[in-house]
Amino acid sequence: MEHIAVLSPLLGALIAGLFGRQIGDGASKFVTCGLMTVAAIASVILFGSVCGANGEARPVIDLFTWIASGDLKVAWSLRFDELAAVMVLVVNLVSCAVHYYSIGYMSHDKAQSRFMAYLSLFTFAMLMLVTSNNLVQLFFGWEGVGLASYLLIGFWNHKDSANDAAMKAFVVNRVGDFGLALGIFATFALFGSLDFDMIFGAVEIMGGVTVQFLGMSVHAISLICGLLFIGAMGKSAQLGLHVWLPDAMEGPTPVSALIHAATMVTAGVFLVARMSPLYEMAPDVRVFITIVGALTALVAATIALTQFDIKRVIAYSTMSQLGYMFFALGVSAYSAAMFHLFTHAFFKALLFLGAGSVIHALSGEQDMRRMGGIWKLIPSTYMMMWIGNLALAGIPFFAGYYSKDLILEAAYASAAPWSAFAFWCGCVAALLTAFYSWRLLFMTFHGKPKSDEKVMAHVHESPMVMMLPLAGLAVGAVMAGWVGYDIFTGEYRDAFWGESLKVFAENDSVLAAHHVATWVKVLPIGLAAAGILLAYICYMRARHMPAVMAATFSLTHDLLQNKWYFDEIYQSLIVSPLKSLGRKLWKTGDVAVIDGMGPDALASAVVDASGHAGRMQTGYVYNYAFAMLIGVVVIVSMFVLGALS
Amino acid sequence: MIEALFFYVFSTVLVLSAMMVISAKNPVHAVLYLILSFFNAAGLFVMLGAELIAMILVIVYVGAVAVLFLFVVMMLDIDFTRLRDEAQKHAMVGAITGGVLLGELAWVYSQWMGARDALARAAQTAPQATKGLTNAHALGQLLYTHYAYLFQVSGLILLVAMIGAITLTLRSRPGVRKQVISHQLDRNPADVVKIEKIETGAGVS
Amino acid sequence: MTEFIAPAFSPAYPEIFLAIMAMILLMLGVSTDKEDYRSISRFSILSLIAVGMVVIRLYEGGVTTFGGMFVVDGFSSFMKVLVLFGAAVSIGMATRYARRERIMRFEYPVLILFSTLGMMLMISANDLMALYMGLELQSLPLYVLAAMQRDSVRSTEAGLKYFILGALSSGILLYGMSLLYGYTGTTQFAGLAAAFESFSHGGVPLGVMTGMVLLMCGMAFKISAVPFHMWTPDVYEGSPTSVTAFFAIVPKIAALALMARILTGPFGNMVLHWQQVIILLSVASMVLGAVAAIGQRNIKRMLAYSSIGHMGYALSGLCAANQTGVQAVLVYAAIYMVMSMGAFAFVLMMKRKDRMVEDIYDLSGLSKTQPMMALGMAVIMFSMAGIPPLAGFFGKLYIFQAVVNAQLYMLAVIGVLSSVVAAYYYLRVIKVMYFDAEDEALDAQEDRGLNLVMMLSSLSLVTFILVPAPLITAARLAAETLLR
Repeated sequence: MEHIAVLSPLLGALIAGLFGRQIGDGASKFVTCGLMTVAAIASVILFGSVCGANGEARPVIDLFTWIASGDLKVAWSLRFDELAAVMVLVVNLVSCAVHYYSIGYMSHDKAQSRFMAYLSLFTFAMLMLVTSNNLVQLFFGWEGVGLASYLLIGFWNHKDSANDAAMKAFVVNRVGDFGLALGIFATFALFGSLDFDMIFGAVEIMGGVTVQFLGMSVHAISLICGLLFIGAMGKSAQLGLHVWLPDAMEGPTPVSALIHAATMVTAGVFLVARMSPLYEMAPDVRVFITIVGALTALVAATIALTQFDIKRVIAYSTMSQLGYMFFALGVSAYSAAMFHLFTHAFFKALLFLGAGSVIHALSGEQDMRRMGGIWKLIPSTYMMMWIGNLALAGIPFFAGYYSKDLILEAAYASAAPWSAFAFWCGCVAALLTAFYSWRLLFMTFHGKPKSDEKVMAHVHESPMVMMLPLAGLAVGAVMAGWVGYDIFTGEYRDAFWGESLKVFAENDSVLAAHHVATWVKVLPIGLAAAGILLAYICYMRARHMPAVMAATFSLTHDLLQNKWYFDEIYQSLIVSPLKSLGRKLWKTGDVAVIDGMGPDALASAVVDASGHAGRMQTGYVYNYAFAMLIGVVVIVSMFVLGALS
Repeated sequence: MIEALFFYVFSTVLVLSAMMVISAKNPVHAVLYLILSFFNAAGLFVMLGAELIAMILVIVYVGAVAVLFLFVVMMLDIDFTRLRDEAQKHAMVGAITGGVLLGELAWVYSQWMGARDALARAAQTAPQATKGLTNAHALGQLLYTHYAYLFQVSGLILLVAMIGAITLTLRSRPGVRKQVISHQLDRNPADVVKIEKIETGAGVS
Repeated sequence: MTEFIAPAFSPAYPEIFLAIMAMILLMLGVSTDKEDYRSISRFSILSLIAVGMVVIRLYEGGVTTFGGMFVVDGFSSFMKVLVLFGAAVSIGMATRYARRERIMRFEYPVLILFSTLGMMLMISANDLMALYMGLELQSLPLYVLAAMQRDSVRSTEAGLKYFILGALSSGILLYGMSLLYGYTGTTQFAGLAAAFESFSHGGVPLGVMTGMVLLMCGMAFKISAVPFHMWTPDVYEGSPTSVTAFFAIVPKIAALALMARILTGPFGNMVLHWQQVIILLSVASMVLGAVAAIGQRNIKRMLAYSSIGHMGYALSGLCAANQTGVQAVLVYAAIYMVMSMGAFAFVLMMKRKDRMVEDIYDLSGLSKTQPMMALGMAVIMFSMAGIPPLAGFFGKLYIFQAVVNAQLYMLAVIGVLSSVVAAYYYLRVIKVMYFDAEDEALDAQEDRGLNLVMMLSSLSLVTFILVPAPLITAARLAAETLLR
């Protein structure tokens, strides 16, 4: 069963990727979707059996040995503990929905089998990441999803902007991956193993170890945790390394839904949760995570207020929600973070796919200023977007309500430093979230149509193959919260997670979160309602308000509109100086000195030598025999002379 | 005394005739010198008490191989002088190489110092010299017991040589008329001969 | 003489079976009316595979038979499986080509079978005479195969050259053996080792070293190490391509195995003496293999020099003279075999307007006309050049690791430098295929077998990084048995 759940996407990717041209687009789609469905069913069954196991650990399945070199032993294996089972469930379900959705969304594209192959490849890499039993396989999956993400962002490779965005995503992720790789090296140096069981077993012993670095003594586990977190920041678009995520929206919308909302970007959250035994030993790093997460949640929400590209708004919203998950991790509420990851996957994928449906309906239009007045024309999509927004804003009884409120309560209840800061950032972000969500809804669906008539005449509901996955995700967005609440974070929490998450009793903020004051529980709901109301006033009643606001606070507005100038700062502080340094080194150092003296001179010498060697080959057999005999004489002489002297 | 005399006679003639093989101008003479050197080698074998090998050398090498050489040399029109001129261009290098190698080997042999038990070890595989054991008997015992494996592999090598020779030279030429006796015997007069009466003056249609 | 005790035949069952199969197929070929090449080829492949199975099945550690002349151990089993696999694939690759070039006679596969048998005997040789017999049985069919295209002057010339130079090398080899026998009174490997042991107190006599050097020179000819390589480019170019493929894929593996066995076995105590020779051969081969190939336009000649270079790397692994070194050599040999299979499958597919072409520049713009073919070849070339993460890189990596561990730094440096130079001509093939202006397209492939061989070869080079363990483990076990 485990093998089916993990390997069928690989099979699909191979078939569609290698033989796509031979078997045709239709067959490729059929094969990938079919195999993905199989994988999704398998993962549901697995999840059920993990739930029923009452926290008993499932044995790790070793596929085969990968590397055995000295102390380093790495195997390909499938570790299906509770954490992995949750991730596999999320990945396979969302991926399955996205696969089906893509059949409709990509139906006019020229390279559909390639697209399907990439999707399946991504899914496989993600599954390898979450089911790995060691850091190396995790790194393989990590890079695999990065690669698939690169390929899919740049899928429309005739667009320069898509290629640029793909490269940007790759390069920015490289910064994070460098941290991750260093973290893995450090782990091996400290623990002498990369297997999770070995690492976690030795955590207690290694707790006090410090290392000397630049004359300072650094707590070893904190160092590892910090480095791993840098990797997580890159992949999960946390503040500082987030600049690639909005640009990644150049990819086709199903890609945004699968990779940049539901699965890949949550890999960082998964990594920290997976390494929770280490992070519990590193309170300083957790404070750092809390601050970064809280700031991300707030900053991303503010940027989302002013954006006009429908997908970018949702992308910033994703970033903001990831911020929530991270500060939850920071206050040791790992189960709450995983719970939010779980619910978020459904409603964010729903929002993206809904947005895709809108874009599809409007013949590729993504600018919200040229939308509007289409809610009567595409009522099903409209309804889906409502469900998604309600869940995102945390309106009671939708999925987001349970998980987001729990995170806020945990932050409030936690005794960790800076948790109050995180709580207040989260509350403000909740208000903003509700505001920009309904801003999006009103601008897109209500008001007067702002597109030209040709486009409006063409507006149509998406086909069933796109709407059914939306419906499935909508069910998830409604139900995931109250179904999962008790299992993930409520009374069955300990029984469910078993050994896979580790929280020290004094840090257990999720337990404390159940006993906070009532106003803490009500506040986020109130803020969300206020946000919705505000949006209604600004975009339905007093339509001049936004313009007035923008004019009044023009400085702030510019700051937000330009995404806090992150790209510009990076450009002038890092990219440009590096480029000019590189150019100088290339022109003077490499071309003039090194090439001139070294390779170019050597190369011509080698070519000469090659000519000589060729001329030795005369073709006469007695010449060859001579050469052999001379060789014998030379070697024998070597010995004779050696003996003489 | 007399043995030593014969040894030196055989050896000297052997070496001299071997040198003549490669220096004789006339290729037929070269082959004849080769035969002479074979005979002398056979003489040396007789002196060692290996009569069988001596006889085999004479019969196989002189009787078959060398005579075959002679035929080939006589039948092929090869301009040996031109070949030798070609080779003489490299005579200097050849002489130096050969000279150095010869010198080194001479020096090596002058330093001879075998392993202490070399002779004893060599004797292990030799057949015990019982009375009345003939040469052929002793060789046969070794070949078919101790060296049976090598004997079989040699057989395979000869088989391969035979296959190779046939593969490279046997050609079936279409259109060549051969006598196939069975075809001749198979023919039936009734099938191939037709008798017709021809009217006088009418001609054949 | 005492009574005769029959030797144990069971260790040699694979060889006996192969010999019988070869003879049966020979008889079948002679007696069938119409020369039925295809079924003979198929039966040959089947019997090679069957023998491979028997080798694996009969695997047992360190058994000798035939009066100690024949040894079966983990090392021999590993090498035999490689050789049998290579021979089976090269017969499979040859069939269609040979029919088109009209060189397919039933003797072709039979000769390959005999040659393979010779290689197996070589690998299992535990005695100088057995070694020589195996060597001759191995090379005689090769001479014939090289001249197989009787109507082509170049093929006949190649066969003749190979034969004459091969005879010369056999002479050198035998001379060396006679010296060794003269000094030690035995031809058995175990006896030789014991005799050398007895020398060690007073220093090894020069004659023994000369004998050893001559023996090594004779074997160096078989793996075409510089300066005994001169035959290689001419023979590779002149022989029919399918035969060249066989030359490149299989015999070198067997000769390498023989070299490893002799150097670590009987000469195991004389490492310091033979090491210098091997280093010399290795350096010369690596450098010449890298430099001389640059000037070649003919792809078969280029691959000939490339194989010289590859053998140089393998030899440098032997220099380490320890278990890791031998293990690296075994891994390298296996990877080299897979790479040359792919490369020659590609060369066998180079055809335009139904005529074979061999010039590298005939491949111009192949990536556009035959993208899959170009991709497969690109992978193989990258791997030969040793670009990570392909298998060829790991092969070289293990070799250099062993060399560095043995503290032969200079050798490692020269090896790395020459592999940089060699990368030039491998990459040139890729450049021609991918960046040069389109030439007239090569013919579409009708031979699925060749395509399959090339694709599997390149695929396994790519996936080696994921599943290296089976090969590495097998090589380690084999190397352990050799150096116990």
